[in-house]
Amino acid sequence: MNELPQGVKELDREILAFIQKGVDHQDLEELNNLALRTFEFQYKHIPLYQRYCQKRGMTPQGLSSWDQIPPLPTDVFKVAELFALPFHIARTFMTSGTTMPKERGRVHYDEGGLRLMDATIFVAGSAFLFPDGVKTLILIIAPSPHIAPHMIMAYGMDRLKDEFGLPQSRFLVGKDGFAVKDLVDELRRSEAGGIPVTLCGGSSGFVNFFEYCRKERLKFQLPRGSRCLDAGGFKGKSREVGREEFLDYCEEFLMIPRNFCVNLLGMTEIASQFYDNSLKNFTRGVDAPRFKVNPPWTKTLVVNPETLEPLPPGETGLLRHFDLANRGHICAIQTDDLGRVVEDGFEIYGRAEGGEAKGCSLTIDEMTRALEA
Amino acid sequence: MEVIEAAGYYVPPEFEENVRAFRTKVYQDGEIRLHLKIPSVSRAMVEVLIDYLKKEREKYLAHQPIERIVDVLDEASRRWLEKSYPYRELVLKTIPVITGFSREVVETSVDVEMESSLREDIWRALRSEIKNPLYLDDFQYSPELDGYCRAFGPKLIVAFFSENIPGLPHLLFMRSALVKAACLGKVAAGEPTFAPLYLRTIEEIDPGMARCMAVLYWRGGEEAIEEAAFNQADAVIMFGGVEACNSLTNRIPRRIRVLVHGHKLSFGVIGRKKLRHQELEELVAAVAYDCSMFDQQACLAPHGYYLEEGGEVSPKEFAQALAAAMAKMNEKMPRGTLSPAEASAINQLRGRYEFKELKGDDVLLFASPRGTDWTVVYERNPEIFRPSPLNRTLWIWGVDDILRILPTIKSLEPFLQNAAVAIGDEREEELIRRLAELGITRITSPGKMSLPSMMWHHDGISPLASLLHWCDVEKKDRIGVMKKRKKGG
Repeated sequence: MNELPQGVKELDREILAFIQKGVDHQDLEELNNLALRTFEFQYKHIPLYQRYCQKRGMTPQGLSSWDQIPPLPTDVFKVAELFALPFHIARTFMTSGTTMPKERGRVHYDEGGLRLMDATIFVAGSAFLFPDGVKTLILIIAPSPHIAPHMIMAYGMDRLKDEFGLPQSRFLVGKDGFAVKDLVDELRRSEAGGIPVTLCGGSSGFVNFFEYCRKERLKFQLPRGSRCLDAGGFKGKSREVGREEFLDYCEEFLMIPRNFCVNLLGMTEIASQFYDNSLKNFTRGVDAPRFKVNPPWTKTLVVNPETLEPLPPGETGLLRHFDLANRGHICAIQTDDLGRVVEDGFEIYGRAEGGEAKGCSLTIDEMTRALEA
Repeated sequence: MEVIEAAGYYVPPEFEENVRAFRTKVYQDGEIRLHLKIPSVSRAMVEVLIDYLKKEREKYLAHQPIERIVDVLDEASRRWLEKSYPYRELVLKTIPVITGFSREVVETSVDVEMESSLREDIWRALRSEIKNPLYLDDFQYSPELDGYCRAFGPKLIVAFFSENIPGLPHLLFMRSALVKAACLGKVAAGEPTFAPLYLRTIEEIDPGMARCMAVLYWRGGEEAIEEAAFNQADAVIMFGGVEACNSLTNRIPRRIRVLVHGHKLSFGVIGRKKLRHQELEELVAAVAYDCSMFDQQACLAPHGYYLEEGGEVSPKEFAQALAAAMAKMNEKMPRGTLSPAEASAINQLRGRYEFKELKGDDVLLFASPRGTDWTVVYERNPEIFRPSPLNRTLWIWGVDDILRILPTIKSLEPFLQNAAVAIGDEREEELIRRLAELGITRITSPGKMSLPSMMWHHDGISPLASLLHWCDVEKKDRIGVMKKRKKGG
């Protein structure tokens, strides 16, 4: 592997230092400084992005803060390679989406970029998932990176496992699917031995496990300090379950209190993760509503879905994230998630979906479902 | 602030006392606030209502001559076509507030629907399907049979509308009346004001006929209510998505006739001979109209147009000219407001195609400057038929040979509906034949996609004839009052 250019290494050092300052500081000046330098780097090294910005009259010289950096819609990653260091690809993550394999979004990382992502996983994980410093057995309802090399969630959970887990921590989705009996055995052992567990995985995996527990009449009393981390929504892989109902199930089947249940928003297009504030707040004795926190190296805006212009804080619209750890591709990402900005974070209401069809014309989703059936 | 009170239901006036519990749904858009009154619907209420409708039909509608029925329906359409008609004025306010369609879109659609629902077209539709409409009144001599035929419609039709296209419910009530059936319509949550007002027009003209008609809203899938409706229905007509229709169909008893109009898709095809500078302006205006009516929400609207390369005007030039026509159309008949999901889908698509364009793919993106009002995307030789996110987003697919689109179209067989075809040479006939074989049920010209006539075999179905059952007298002797009469008598 070629060595990364000196300028990149220098930039990475500074971004890394910024991330490693933790989540309890605000330094807008430094954020803007790094944001503009990162933008300049991406502008220079990603010709398509450069042309896109030029069409809009945006150049690095003309910008003064992170929120002016031109965002790209997530779907762009399905049609274009947007990577600043094409000769340094160390890892590629892909979006899910089974119907048209050619149309999966692809995001590349170089070694330096991966180190930045690792740092975000460590710093955010320490702050929001393990603020109490408890060592737990991490059990993961997701495939390992070995089985799913392009799945960013598998990568992230693997890092959590290695950084924070007890030695027997493991993945529970193998080539033959979800090893649910193994999970039951692990949970029983943890109950017996008083070893706290961190159960993590896709939200749909949790729901499927809860349904298994209901059918088999299983309930666990996991030791104090056990917690849940779920991510990824349902995407038709399980029954859709509302957040409150989900939290009820964590209490009912696992005896994990609500404050110890943390939801995470992660996206293939975004290196950092956005965690619920629940466990951090609980550990500090803070009683506050649940929302997703922006760690200081990220920002989230809400924009008007029609014009894509920013909306005042508190209004509902489409979420647009900015992430310094996206150094290798594009920092500003326009999602199709609905949400609203609150304090130093945001609430997310899920993907903006059509709901009841307005007319009688076949919709894209309907056609996809019909052709899959 | 203007406050409008409207009803999201219709029951005949004499039945009104049975509807007691209501909720009010409030919509607001700018300076207009709409209070929509929606009754609570229970199984018991539906049972009593259906009983009432059927009895009234027996007393009145079943014995009305078809000529009288056609006159009433014609008069209703005429009233709606008058600009000052109060109910028309009212829906031009209520529908935009509820659905987001612009007033201009709604107004155009009311005109289009009602103009195609006048006396002459109704008679033609009847003759086209039933040959002699008087079969609906009494036995008539049939020369083919050399005997006598009489046609009966269902006693009760239950119609499900799962969408907001304002014209559909009115069409269904017309068809029910023509076959002398009582009709209970279940409207969508999306737009429940047009159908009730249309029935009030019928009530103004012929209260007896209106006593056989009702419109209610209940949440789709309320099995107890739907079961009550099915128990007494002879026919069910449904409009809706694949899943919704399947779920309903599975619960309908087998003795009931069921006509299903699932979600469909449409497109246009223009051959190279038709791509000429001289007619370009007219042609792009026609295509812009096709995809702006109802903001492209109707299944009749095209997702895209296939254009053949090699003509005087290239598909790319056409796309550019179309963009200008879309902008013009948007001034005349503005696109409605979208949900976040709809707007986001268009913005994501634009991002995707802007990048394809930037990286040198053979695509072009034309988009309204601010917001998502209209989008035209040119793409060369597409591998698949990608549905449009609608709301005035149109594909222009450049292809080398128009007949080569057929394999792509074939993959959409269950969903095909409407195609605008303009080829300009001998291949037109072949293309029409092939499209018909693939299951397309309507072929028309660019600019006419949203304007089906009442005579159209709607989704390939004979909408009136399919509801009838017949009695044929195969006896040479003349019986009773039945006289050998000339066809159409």
